[in-house]
Amino acid sequence: MDIERESTDLVKREFLAVLLAGFGNELLPLTSDHGDEPCPKSLLPVANKPMIDYTLTWLEQAGIKVHRPAIYHHIHSGASLSLSSLRIDLQTFDESQDTSVGTCTLLRHFSSRITEDFVLVPCDFIPSPSLPLSILLNKFRADAISDGSIATTCWFADHKPEKGAFPEEWGPHPQPSPIVWDEASGTLLHIDTPDDQDRNGEEIELRMALLSRYPRTKLSTSFQDSHVYVCRRSVLDALHEKRHFDSFREEFLPWLLKVQYQRTRRTKYARYLNPITNTTSQRLALKHSTMSKETSASNDSFGTLLSKDPSISVPPSPTDGDDDHGTSNSFRVGVIIHRASAGFAVRVNTIPNFLEINRRLLSQVTYSLPTEPKDRSLIDQKAQISSDTIIGGSTQVSERTMIKKSIIGRHCVIGKMAKIVGCVLLDHCVIEDGAKLEGCILGKNTKVGAKAELSRCVTQAGYEVSAGETVKGEKLDVSDWTAAPDDDDDDDDNASEDEDDGSD
Amino acid sequence: MPPKPPSAGKEKLIDDDEEVLQAVILADSFNKRFRPLTTRKPRCLLPICNAPLLDWTFESLALAGVQEIFVICRSHAEQVKAAIRESKWSKPGSGIKIVPILTAKETFSPGDAMRDIYTRGLVTSDFVLVMGDLVSNIRIDEVVRVHKERRKTNKNAIMTMVVKESGARHRTKARGDSSVFVLDPETSECLYYEPVTAFPQTTLAHVPREVLAAHPEIEIRNDLIDCSIDVCSVEVPSLFQDNFDYLDIRRDFVHGVLTSDLLMKNIHCYVAKDGYAARVKDTKSYESVSKDILSRWTFPLVPDDNHPSGHVYDHERGNKYIAKDHSVVLARTCKIGNNTLIGSSTHISENAQVLASVIGKNCSIGTSTIIRNSYIFDGTVVGSDCIIERSIIGSNVTIKDGTEIQKGCLLGDGVIIGPAAKLSPFQRLSKKPDEADEPTSDDEDDEDSDLEEVEELQGSIPKNLGKDSNALVWPTAPSEDAEEDEIANFKNERFMRLGDDASDLDDSDDGSESSSSESESDDDSDFDVNASSLTAPSDTSLPLNLPAGSPMAESEFQTEVKQSLERAFAEGHSVDNAAVELKTLRMASNVPLTRVREAVVAAIVEKIQVVDTGAVAQRKEIASVIARWGELIDRIGGVDPVETVAALQSHCASSKHLPLFGQILAALYQDDIVEEDDIRKWHKLPVSKGEGLKAKEDELENLRKCWSIGAHMIKQFDEQESESDEDDDDEDEQDDETAKLQSSEMVKPESEEDSEEESEEETQETTGNPKVEAKLESEEGSDESEEETSGSAAQLEREKDASGGNVDVVVDQTARKQETSEEESSEEEESGEDESEEEVVKPLAKAEASVQHEVKGAAGVEDKDKSPVVVAAGEGATAQSEEEEDDDEDEDEDEDEEEDEDEEDSDEEEDSDNAEGSQAADGLKGDTVLKQTK
Repeated sequence: MDIERESTDLVKREFLAVLLAGFGNELLPLTSDHGDEPCPKSLLPVANKPMIDYTLTWLEQAGIKVHRPAIYHHIHSGASLSLSSLRIDLQTFDESQDTSVGTCTLLRHFSSRITEDFVLVPCDFIPSPSLPLSILLNKFRADAISDGSIATTCWFADHKPEKGAFPEEWGPHPQPSPIVWDEASGTLLHIDTPDDQDRNGEEIELRMALLSRYPRTKLSTSFQDSHVYVCRRSVLDALHEKRHFDSFREEFLPWLLKVQYQRTRRTKYARYLNPITNTTSQRLALKHSTMSKETSASNDSFGTLLSKDPSISVPPSPTDGDDDHGTSNSFRVGVIIHRASAGFAVRVNTIPNFLEINRRLLSQVTYSLPTEPKDRSLIDQKAQISSDTIIGGSTQVSERTMIKKSIIGRHCVIGKMAKIVGCVLLDHCVIEDGAKLEGCILGKNTKVGAKAELSRCVTQAGYEVSAGETVKGEKLDVSDWTAAPDDDDDDDDNASEDEDDGSD
Repeated sequence: MPPKPPSAGKEKLIDDDEEVLQAVILADSFNKRFRPLTTRKPRCLLPICNAPLLDWTFESLALAGVQEIFVICRSHAEQVKAAIRESKWSKPGSGIKIVPILTAKETFSPGDAMRDIYTRGLVTSDFVLVMGDLVSNIRIDEVVRVHKERRKTNKNAIMTMVVKESGARHRTKARGDSSVFVLDPETSECLYYEPVTAFPQTTLAHVPREVLAAHPEIEIRNDLIDCSIDVCSVEVPSLFQDNFDYLDIRRDFVHGVLTSDLLMKNIHCYVAKDGYAARVKDTKSYESVSKDILSRWTFPLVPDDNHPSGHVYDHERGNKYIAKDHSVVLARTCKIGNNTLIGSSTHISENAQVLASVIGKNCSIGTSTIIRNSYIFDGTVVGSDCIIERSIIGSNVTIKDGTEIQKGCLLGDGVIIGPAAKLSPFQRLSKKPDEADEPTSDDEDDEDSDLEEVEELQGSIPKNLGKDSNALVWPTAPSEDAEEDEIANFKNERFMRLGDDASDLDDSDDGSESSSSESESDDDSDFDVNASSLTAPSDTSLPLNLPAGSPMAESEFQTEVKQSLERAFAEGHSVDNAAVELKTLRMASNVPLTRVREAVVAAIVEKIQVVDTGAVAQRKEIASVIARWGELIDRIGGVDPVETVAALQSHCASSKHLPLFGQILAALYQDDIVEEDDIRKWHKLPVSKGEGLKAKEDELENLRKCWSIGAHMIKQFDEQESESDEDDDDEDEQDDETAKLQSSEMVKPESEEDSEEESEEETQETTGNPKVEAKLESEEGSDESEEETSGSAAQLEREKDASGGNVDVVVDQTARKQETSEEESSEEEESGEDESEEEVVKPLAKAEASVQHEVKGAAGVEDKDKSPVVVAAGEGATAQSEEEEDDDEDEDEDEDEEEDEDEEDSDEEEDSDNAEGSQAADGLKGDTVLKQTK
């Protein structure tokens, strides 16, 4: 886990981004160690760019510049530096791949270093261009001022792969949890947690308090959590109160949602969550603006707007007092619902998703031969490379090799007569003559022997497919790296050198 | 709704399908919320804005182009008939045919009325169903069109409910009687309906998860006013007829149809974006509808235009309506507030104030009287210096000088109070019956009895009605001895009472809701507990606490199930069909799932014939029955294998199938109907040991026998588990195991048997085959010994080792054969095969072999030692078997083997790729890497 921040800044920052970079247990074997060198999820290349780059660009576009140099440096200054920084944090949490520490614990740990409103971002969320972070930030800003919203998040349309698109061995598609939200005001109201499901497997239970506050809500299972949260600093205080929460998404957020409409919780946690009371003028201005009409309308709907008859007031409702309180401090959790029609967004947390996003990004590029003469010389004239392909620098493609709809990493060596369709090859892969690859993801340093045929396979970094082997739809991991990692590496290097020599 | 002139809609309807649009009005409220105003008059004839409700309803329907209206009336039917006769719609040329239908006195609910409609065969096509207290300007013809359009593609769309968008707390939306609709936003199909009551407060709305499967995005609407306008197809009355327990159209019918997994009918909603529709369901909605009419939400149905009773009013600024016939006398100093309606020939004296109120015809308001937010029917005289707040005063009431009427009072027709009477809030008064002028008709019996009851109570109620009063005071709260739900009902009704904000109820409720949602003391970790405790009451309100099937009904159900299954067995139904039949049966007799399971298990066990030609045949019989029908156990609507075992146990304990318990259980296990874990769980249950059961002594005894069989089985599972690591041919072992289980189980009860009934059959069975008997005995012996001394097992093993390797080899080969047979044949056959294999082995190896086999199954220790022996023996004999071993071998062996394989691989490589030397080199390199990692 990697938390980056920069505190020496003279101008008061509005947001601090907290970027969480996990191991990516779901992406095994791609994220399994290569020797004793880890392959963390955040550094997995998507269309030949480390995943974390997408997130960072996203943050940067929204104007959160402060911490970008800090991490960017790490990435581009080579793997070793970024890894060393990773390792420091790993030690801090005494964490291993098996016992992962929840987001809440992390946040609590770092809360002293977070002094302002923060944006919690996963490293694996690749949003569509139509979903800039600024949408979320703007909603958060408006809501926080107009009615005291405490957090804003984003859910995006879940992309369900068609049946049979990916082999079952690649793991099941994660079932998105049902959420309830109010469309008019963009308020997230309820997340159905596995606990809820255990308690009542037949029905989803919704509190009437919720439904009377937000009488027209939507319930859907077709959205995935982006795990992007814009939060008030005060949320951290509440987090400190609820010590037993571990996962932000599965425990803390559902709890936070309940604060919106449950009165005792409100009164109890109001002092922790209490948003900064903004200047009244600002609120007044927003109240009268056409932009926030929707939000305010939904909140005092049962108060003023619907009493049709001005001469007689609505029968006084005992909750009126509450409502007034509510409009100023709603403790709302805003939500941006990003529908499928608005563009493809994905969290690269499973192997099918990884392949999917790679393919999507592919469709946006057109391949042209490298301009640098050095790189260009590596690509044989007789190689057939379709236009929807990305080939990284210093990669060698030999004659009569066909590459279609694939992403080839840097420093790869591809032999003669090979056929590569719909694959993702990470850096330093070696494909020998006549090998056929279809729909595969090869971890870095993967070697595929001559005439081997792989279809729909995923390999761990450094895996070797022996010549002539045929494998279909499997996850291939190197069985025992830890036994003698050093020798291994050496061997590898030697081997690849040999290899190069041999094929040349 | 596209704007379209009403005539166009009408014409279109007529042109399109020549069908007459029919409407049914239920002109009875089926409740008593307006009492005592409704003691002498049906609710639908109460005036609202000086026109009877029924006329408003007719007007609303006429607007929609309805041509034939059936009015179902029950109470005061004669008055309704008379009103219809006299209404303008009955005049020739009105274009509408109105038929009053008198229904029986026994019609107590809308459901009954629907059944009446069905039996009379009134409706011939899709019809509009409304209540007799509807005020609406919604274009129902549009709804009908949408409904018919939908019916063309979806025959199951039987009903379209008209709902009106509003807020969560609209004033015309009764808090005590609202509902949550779950809709599909695309098709506006209603997916789920949940009624909401204010008391006892509905705290949770439930959305069934299965709804989400078919509809990925749904809308939960708590902001809809149910207008009670339903466009129904002809099936609807017949559905009421079929389901005689449907009472309310919403709570029972809609909820029932939507949750039923048998009917497969759809109900849609029509969400009216504009237009107005509301029902006068209670006094509170009476007020709000009045105000809506006065503030012209119902346009074009407003007092100054289209007034249903044909009155003509002047509309003045501030929504004041004064009768236009110049008969109204307004004193110079009187004050008429906004939103007020004053009927013709009414006299308002000096300094009187009438604010936001409705005054009927021929009324007289005295000097300095203040009337605020009140509704005064025709012919009422109010004296001077009176104050009337938020009340409904019937017709021909006399309120004498200086009377004060506080909010929420209802005064029945002809009441006289005052002078200087003081009515506390929510008092209800009616005229004393003995002073009634007209004799009460026969059919008002229940009303009379109510009145008598009220009369009896008079002494107990403190009152200040003035000396000239003829009024009876109705009790404001249910009497002390009222039933619990009556009180709850009363409290709920309070939310629908005029002027009652029920703040006391509300406050306490809000508190309790929130306090239960999170405990006061410490919140960490325990709010889940609280939340679950919250759900508890809602759970218990489910039909769990039904009189869990009276013994009579249950036995009836048992026989029904038995018959149904016998039929299924005899006629060879598919499991699916049998399951459907069972589900229907279960619904019909409303028994818990457990009963069904018991019945099914019982029937299947009974299906198994006790074969006396020997254990083999018996086992085959069991296996075939279980294979054919075992699946059914999990198809009855829920899977609970633990319960299955328990049911099997209890059935076996009380039938002649007791000796077969072990075999049946083993068969169920083989068919994956019960798993190992389930058997363990069942075994741990105290009930499975017969504890806490009040059964006959011998049955208890039998239960315990079954339990001990289970214990035996679990013991074998344990052994199996412990040996599974070292075990070479795991699967074979398991098969052996179960085969052995079966055989040993069969004997087990006998070996411990005290009661002789079963043993007779058992001996019969065993004597049928002496060979088997001998085997059984030997097993029996080992069973006993094995439990006490593990040493003896070891000893046996040593003996066996000494006796020579050939026995082992034989056994091993058997195992091999079994495996191949397993691949080919299905499972039940295989178990038979097992048996036959054993039979083959026995004559060969004689007693020794059988003992050895026994030991192999029972004692796990032994196999550990044995496997190397087998390998050693087998290596020379059969290469095949060696391969077998390799599959599951330990690490060390694995290594060797892999090396072999690698060599093979590289050989192959060289063969195929010898042209490309580099490849081969690479392959070799791969080998070295692998070896190093080892």
